[in-house]
Order: sequence, then C-alpha cells, then structure tokens
Amino acid sequence: MITSCDHASPRTRAALCGLPPRAGLGLKTGHFREVLGSLPDIGFFEVHAENYMVAGGPFHHFLGLIREAYPLSLHGVGLSIGAEGPLDVQHLKRLSTLIERYQPQSFSEHLAWSSHGPVFLNDLLPLAYDTPTLDRVCEHIDQVQNTLQRPMLLENPATYLAFERSTIDEAEFIREVIRRSGCGLLLDVNNIYVSCINHQRDPLTYLDALPLHAVGEIHLAGFAEDADSLGVRLLIDDHGAPVDQAVWSLYRQALERIGPVATLIERDNQVPAFNVLMAEAQQADELLRCAGGRP
Amino acid sequence: MSTQAVFSAALLDTGLPCPDGLCSVNGADPASRFAVYRNNVQRSLSNALVDSYPVVMQLVGEEFFRAMAGVFIQNHPPRSPLMSDYGSDLADFISGFEPASSVPYLADVARLERLRTQAYHAADIAPLSQERIAAAFADQEGLSRLQIGLHPSLHVLDSAFAVVDIWAAHQHDATLAGINLDQAQHALVLRNGLEVEVFAVDPGASQFIGQLKAGLSLTEALESAEAFDLSQTLALLISRQAITHLHHKVSP
Amino acid sequence: MTATTRTLSATALVLALGSALSMVGVSTAQAADNSNMEKCFGVAMKGHNDCAAGAGTTCAGTAKMDYQANSWKFVPKGTCTTTESKTSPTGFGQLEAFKAKS
Repeated sequence: MITSCDHASPRTRAALCGLPPRAGLGLKTGHFREVLGSLPDIGFFEVHAENYMVAGGPFHHFLGLIREAYPLSLHGVGLSIGAEGPLDVQHLKRLSTLIERYQPQSFSEHLAWSSHGPVFLNDLLPLAYDTPTLDRVCEHIDQVQNTLQRPMLLENPATYLAFERSTIDEAEFIREVIRRSGCGLLLDVNNIYVSCINHQRDPLTYLDALPLHAVGEIHLAGFAEDADSLGVRLLIDDHGAPVDQAVWSLYRQALERIGPVATLIERDNQVPAFNVLMAEAQQADELLRCAGGRP
Repeated sequence: MSTQAVFSAALLDTGLPCPDGLCSVNGADPASRFAVYRNNVQRSLSNALVDSYPVVMQLVGEEFFRAMAGVFIQNHPPRSPLMSDYGSDLADFISGFEPASSVPYLADVARLERLRTQAYHAADIAPLSQERIAAAFADQEGLSRLQIGLHPSLHVLDSAFAVVDIWAAHQHDATLAGINLDQAQHALVLRNGLEVEVFAVDPGASQFIGQLKAGLSLTEALESAEAFDLSQTLALLISRQAITHLHHKVSP
Repeated sequence: MTATTRTLSATALVLALGSALSMVGVSTAQAADNSNMEKCFGVAMKGHNDCAAGAGTTCAGTAKMDYQANSWKFVPKGTCTTTESKTSPTGFGQLEAFKAKS
C-alpha cells in the first residue's frame, strides 16, 4: 500500500494514501476564519459533502484555502445508499464534481437510507437486514465506486429500532457488504455504543464481529439520553455533547485491535468554541500516539 | 406499499400510526422508538427553516414559526438532499397561510431572506475593473447598444412594505418601533466579495436593474424605468463590484 | 445628483455615466452610505446538512399539526408586536412575556 501510494500520480495519491493516522475535526463554517488565522496542528478536516454542493461564495472560498493546508475527508449525508429505489444519479454527479475539485483523501457515506422517491427526509434511517437489502446495498456501493472511480468508506449506523423481517445480524451484514463491494469501513465508535445500548448488545462482541481490517477512519461523538416506553435508557446519536467516557474506552479497545487510524471528533449540535474541539482532538491524538502512531 | 414507503409517510405525517413490522429487543412499544426518527425528521427540517429564515422567526416568535414550519413540512417536504435549498417556496406558502395574515409583510421578509441565501451561494464571477467600465462608458458611439451584465448573486425585490427596514431592524435592536411598515421598498441584494449586502433603492432603479438582468441594453432599460438617479445607481453597482460583463448588443 | 429620466439625451447620458465613475472614484463608501445599505460583517451562514441534524427525542413534537381543523392555537408574538413607540408599555410587555416562555 505504501509503495503504490508513493508512486501514484498526484491525482490518485490522495485517495490511495488515505487520511493520516491522526485526530481530525469537522469543519464548521463559524470556525473558517479562526482555522485559517491560526492554522492549528490537526491531522485533517472533514466536511459534509452536501453543504458544498453550491455554485460559489464563501463556503468554496474557505474550503479551498483550508484544503491547501490540510488533508480532507468528504462525508456524504444525502446519498441514501440503502434506499429501495435507484440512487439519485444527479446527486452522484454532484459528488463526483466535488471530489474532482477538492481531491479529498477519503469519501464516506452511511449504511442507511434518507430518500424515498423524490422526497428527502434529512435523517439517517434504519434498514431491514435481509438478502434483498444486502444485494441492493452492494449494487449501490458498486455504482458509487464505479462513478467516483475510487473506493468509499461505509459507516456503521446508530439505530433505535429493529425490523421483524431482519434475518442477518448487523455486523455480519456489514462484513458481507465490505467483502462483496470492496469498500472500506468508517468505524463510528459512538454509533456502536449507542446501538448496542439501544439493542442490548455487548459493544465489544459487536466490535469484534466487524471487519476491522477494512477500517479507514474512525468517528467519535457525543450522544443524548432518553428513555423508551418501558423507561429503559435509549441513547440518541445527536453529536451535541463531548465524547462520553464509555465511548473513549471503547475507542481504546478498538485502537488495540486495529492500530492508529484517522479519527474524527464529530460535533453538529451545540458546537462549542474551536479550542474546546481542539482539546478533544488532542485527547484522541494522545491515544493514537499510544497505539503506535506518530512519535 | 413498500417498507420504506410506509416508514417515510409516517415520518412526515405525524397523524399516521407507527408502521408495522418494527420491534425493539426489550419489548418496548416500537412507537416510542419510531418517535425518535419522526422527531429527527421534523426537528431537523424545522431547524433548517429556522436557520434560513431568522428574521421571519423573530417577527412571529419561535413557537408560531415552528408550528407553521410543521404545516409547511407536511405539505412541502424536501425534494433534494441539498438543505440550503429547502424552503425556497416558504414565502409563497406564508402568503396563503391564514394564521400569519395579521403580519402582512411576513412573506416579503421571507423572500428577502431567501434572496440573501441565494446570493451567499451564487456562482463566483470576477467583477470588471473600473478602468474597463470607464473605457466602455467613454465610447459614445457604442453607448446606445451597451449591455451591462450583472453578478449572478444580484436580485431586486419589490415590496409594498418596508421590507429592507424591517429586515435591517433585526440586525440590530430587533424592534419595529419607528418603522412605517406600509412604506413600499425596493430591495437590492448582492454579494460583494464574501459579504451579502442589502440596499433599499428607488422604484425606478429597481426597474432599471431588473431590465438589465433581463438582458435589455442600457438605453432600453432606461427607457422602460420611471425617473431615478442613474449616476448614483451605477456608482452603487460599480462600487459593490456587481458589474461583471459589458458588451454591445447586436441590432436585430 | 439630479434625477435622470427616460427622456435622457445622449449628452446627458454621457454626463451621467461620467458622474457615476467619479462618484466611485471619490469614495466607494459614500455611494453606499447614500443608499441605505445593510449587511452583516463576518457572519458565516451555517451549513444546512448535518450528520445528526434533528436531535429528536421520544416525546417532543408528535402532535398532529392541522391548522384547518380549528386546532390552530398559535398567534404571531415575536417582534411583530413591537411596532408601538418605545415609550409604549404594551408592545414590549408582550415581547418580554414571550421571551420568558421560550
């Protein structure tokens, strides 16, 4: 991998080399000027692809400048890979254009659906895990990778309910998607914790059942707590709080298994000051160093 | 109906029951867990409208705005994954929304806020230098056929209300005290570099700029507009870097 | 500058254009000041697409919204109630009450 990376043309090098094994941050528009002004020591930035599918203006201005200084991860939230219907070809074209423009080190999307027919629901919705869904998800990922001419990472979901008709265990489903499509895994440790609490699974057993050899990036985030109709603790993946201790601890276990991998601190709600996010990123960097990353 | 069709319908229409075929491992009512998805959808779409229409929300208050957004979302769910476009038709919806009729200027404020978002994300085109513009203006022979191309972010909005003053008041004190709400205003919205700017211009200037955008030549646009201060209007367009092309119209 | 009309002569047009250029040349800020300009400096718009956009819960907001069916119980009560002059106690009283609730 390292030699092919070194000898690749600049155009494909970004995709082949991937993100550096360091902590990164989600780039918030309110932090544009601070990032450019202070050029913080951070491994990479991640943006939501859909926010940059606009003709011009400040978003492109700032992302262009920041991209010159940092590796970039492009994270899609609107492709609806798990949809029953066909993928939105227009949307794939927009993604392709964006990737061409910014040459990100990584492109990732979710194991979820968010559109039905022409309607976009703006949430990452759960899938029934059965053979027809597996076939469809693999076909869609093939189509994405063929169109974009690069491998993508697929993120394991946070879910709140299950389908009676599911016949395949979630981790096994993901393993099979990755085996058949050749895509990588975006290991969202917060999603593992949230889903395992919500479905009374053991997080470590679930982690070990995932295809950890294929992990290309890790996500860490905070969750909110609620309760279901029985008053049982229900965790909600709201990205609105600091990373929980239980998630840090699961992250440590993940790093022991897979070694240092690019790790994003995700924050989408109640976004704090940039230095607060930097402190969380430094905490992740510390663990990455312990796991054998940069000296 | 397919699983996702039923799921999708029940997410948008909060009057529909929780879909069949869902379960939770602890035996809790699946509806209590489905509610998380329903609220994610409703809340995230409502939040998108709050972000796009901050002044409309301040005018009517958050409680009213979110309730109105709930009706809008049910009748106009997004048709694209690009949430910056969501709610482009909110102003038209507000015009026909009876509970908001006591705030007659609300729809035009929504139109102004939409134009600002569009201007913010509009394509980047470099403005012409003042030297180029001066050279074209000095060419007396060509003046009658001169066409002025304007930046794609630029739009005018004609309102029967003091739409610019109302909007501007919410950038500072957030009070309408002292504003003559029924004073018709003509808003000019454009992006100058990285900043979106809003100006109140005379009716004639608004007509003139609208005609330039429609492709009329300088003299044609002048002839079709009522009296206004041409020098000041052009000075404004030049100083705000809004002139991106100058060419001579070929006579038919 | 005096008003320009649709009956502008060719000479007057040339003068008006020259005058526009000189206004820009003298002071770009002045042209703006004359035109009732408003903008928000340095405020970046938010990205609208998020990974966990909604932050839903199991309970809030599930009531059916049907304003046709006599169930609409909301009235606008934001800054649109502040048209009274600053000395009027009523306009601001309503606004304060609303803020305290939200």
